[in-house]
Amino acid sequence: MASTSKTQVISLYRMLMKESKKFPSYNYRTYALRRVKDGFRENVHVENPKTLDLLLNQARESLAIIKRQVSIGQLYTTQMTIVERVGA
Amino acid sequence: MASRVLAQCVRSLTRPSARLSSGGVAVRVIAAPVLANHRPYSFVSNCQRTRWIEQTRISSNVGVLCRQYGDLPPLTLETIKDRVMYVLKLYDKINPEKLQASSHFMKDLGLDSLDQVEIIMAMEDEFGFEIPDAEAEKLMSPEDIVHYIAEKKDVYE
Repeated sequence: MASTSKTQVISLYRMLMKESKKFPSYNYRTYALRRVKDGFRENVHVENPKTLDLLLNQARESLAIIKRQVSIGQLYTTQMTIVERVGA
Repeated sequence: MASRVLAQCVRSLTRPSARLSSGGVAVRVIAAPVLANHRPYSFVSNCQRTRWIEQTRISSNVGVLCRQYGDLPPLTLETIKDRVMYVLKLYDKINPEKLQASSHFMKDLGLDSLDQVEIIMAMEDEFGFEIPDAEAEKLMSPEDIVHYIAEKKDVYE
């Protein structure tokens, strides 16, 4: 466990972003990245330790969900959408 | 007489290829077509990485003696700095006019720690290697990032 809650929050943020980038589906990936950024951004000013704990637990659960869904998505991949293809 | 001419021709053909086979990435070829497959830098959130790839092709009669190498161009401090500044300019929370090599993310550019995490992740995507948490939180200016990458990639000047 990290010593201060700030480092905990930062490492949770990193892990969530890293896992979200692994989604094979374009929609899930962009949604997850956007939702993670917005979720952390809106709670930037929270000071109350109880709310902080609640939010951090929610974040950890989301991390578990994202990991499971990433592995399921990687089992059943589909074609890349047209916006993802690089080059002509 | 003809055999002497032939021997001279073979020697002149093998000399450039000897230089080639001893080389690696940065190879100069005289009078041979160079295929450069250039792609622009792209900072795309879906982790698609584009790479500079250079390949050299030699005419077929010296094909036996030389190799084709494909690799990234070697990193120099200049190129690292250019790429770092390019990625930072693409980040929407940074004002590109205010950005300088020594500008501190939090004090000069007004970013917070979440933004700094995003910036470091963008650098990981650009350069293709992981930066651990403990070292990532210390990188607070573009200069720090350039020095860190140069250290990790053994780039000296």
